[in-house]
Amino acid sequence: MRHIRWTATVLFLFATLCYAQDATPTDPETVAELVQQIKDLQTRVKLLESQRNHADATPPNASNPSAEPSDRTASVPAVEPELHDVHGIQWRGFGEVDYKVLNQRAAELGAYGFVPGSQGNFYTGDFGLFLTSKLTDKASILAEIIFEEGDAQTYQVDLRRLLLNYDYNDHLKMSFGRYQTDVGYYNWAFRSAAWLQTTADRPLVMEFATNGGLLPTQAIGVSVTGEIPSGRLGLNYVAEYGSSDTVRPDVNDDGHATDENNGNQVNVGLFLRPDAVRGLQIGTSYYHDKISNNVVTQPSGIAFPQPPGAPGPSARYGQTIVNGYVVYVAHGVEFLNEGFLIRDAALHFSDTVYNTPAFYSQISKQFGHIRPFFRYQYVNASSNNLIYDDVGLRFGPSFGARYDLNDYIAFKAQLDHTVRRDEPDLNGLQFQLAFTF
Amino acid sequence: MPLLICLTSLVYVQVAAAQADDVAVVVNDHNPVTKMSRAELRKIFAGEERTWPAGFPIRLFVRAPGTHERVALLKLLGMTEDEYRRYWTAQVLRGEAQTEPFTLPSNGMQKEALIAYPGAVALVNLQDVKAGMKVLRVEGRKPGEAGYSLN
Repeated sequence: MRHIRWTATVLFLFATLCYAQDATPTDPETVAELVQQIKDLQTRVKLLESQRNHADATPPNASNPSAEPSDRTASVPAVEPELHDVHGIQWRGFGEVDYKVLNQRAAELGAYGFVPGSQGNFYTGDFGLFLTSKLTDKASILAEIIFEEGDAQTYQVDLRRLLLNYDYNDHLKMSFGRYQTDVGYYNWAFRSAAWLQTTADRPLVMEFATNGGLLPTQAIGVSVTGEIPSGRLGLNYVAEYGSSDTVRPDVNDDGHATDENNGNQVNVGLFLRPDAVRGLQIGTSYYHDKISNNVVTQPSGIAFPQPPGAPGPSARYGQTIVNGYVVYVAHGVEFLNEGFLIRDAALHFSDTVYNTPAFYSQISKQFGHIRPFFRYQYVNASSNNLIYDDVGLRFGPSFGARYDLNDYIAFKAQLDHTVRRDEPDLNGLQFQLAFTF
Repeated sequence: MPLLICLTSLVYVQVAAAQADDVAVVVNDHNPVTKMSRAELRKIFAGEERTWPAGFPIRLFVRAPGTHERVALLKLLGMTEDEYRRYWTAQVLRGEAQTEPFTLPSNGMQKEALIAYPGAVALVNLQDVKAGMKVLRVEGRKPGEAGYSLN
């Protein structure tokens, strides 16, 4: 009997122990909740400590007579350092590692680390350091320093953007310094970072001028943008006035470049983002400048003899670029459509006019981590166009996919087929790891 | 009669539950804004509008992923959590935003931020609205009223 009672007591204690263990909050959700609570409390303690430190350091009669009640004045400066959004420099960065193979042994567009005679190369493209600093509630600094790969794995530094921004209000936002021109949507939406782009490269017409692109992508001056009161239409304007000095290497990397010796450019544009269709943006812009067609050799910059009958380097052209676009970016869909007409009209020496139409259309859709895309692009510089003689007629599709490994790294694979006037069709395969940090 | 009472109770419970899910748009007490449209609210939380009509800059404060306020925010913007994070990284790299909206881990901190910054705006569960938070009307309705669209 005594043995039975002893056994019963042991069983009872064991059962109690088991119950107690079951009741202990060891399931992952509860643990995560507790950890979150601890983190919240730690943040709060840190905040209160910083408040107390500031209160200790502040003289008792230093308060602003027009300020809010005392409990509020104490918390204003205390919270600000915690949020790190006033003063100090914020660093970001982006970069890419690419492998591109062509079915020809000559480079196309930015030569990067292209080895003459080879068909495929690894290269690092643009590595960018992106700095911002808030000076006041309305003024801030933005700088984008690009380390751009050149020939034979050499690197050059390009200050792609350096801006003093002043946002007076939503109707008047001003930027002074070196800006990326708002000719078209692509230049605004994707700036310099490959990570921002869906595709592995930019459409030819939107390629940076320093890589052989057709448009003036950079200028130094003033850029103003803002909303125009228009209710649900969501109308905005952009106006830019600045100087660019574009030296555009030939897209086939034949060692020649065009030094445009630009004048001061004017660019004005309008775009609307209607409330009724979230993600839709329709815009247009008008750009004007005066340029030259000075062919020089790279990298020496020595003038290259022009073909017989060509106007000399002092000949100037009035360059007008008209752009229109319709884009839709929402619900995981990206549908970009942009058209350009680049008109270069000779000034004084003849009545020659070169019209270069170009467009691209790109569509993609996000499925989980993967985003397949298709792009079709077209550029047609006439065969007598002396300014874009290296471009000629090019058109064709690109397709591929972007896979987001996480929030910071994307892998892209892209196939290109380009039809060219008087040259064989060009096929390309490109792989890219694009990242931001 | 008992059936009618049951149905009325059911409707009342459902309405009460829906109202409890409402998320309030709250700003600093000194912000003269009292109302906004859903489209305006979306533009503000997408960083497309950066200044209040009174002239001071808008400061966005959001709750952490997984909270009810965050779910309401994503619904308002029509984005998934991944899309939201990438969108703000892109906005910063474009130069359209100085930084991503600041994520605060608790409603208490949201309240402090709202008091500290004249331009602060945040989303708060209706039942967590405290003194010092000024609640805005969205499309003419206050949270808790029938037809309120942010939940």
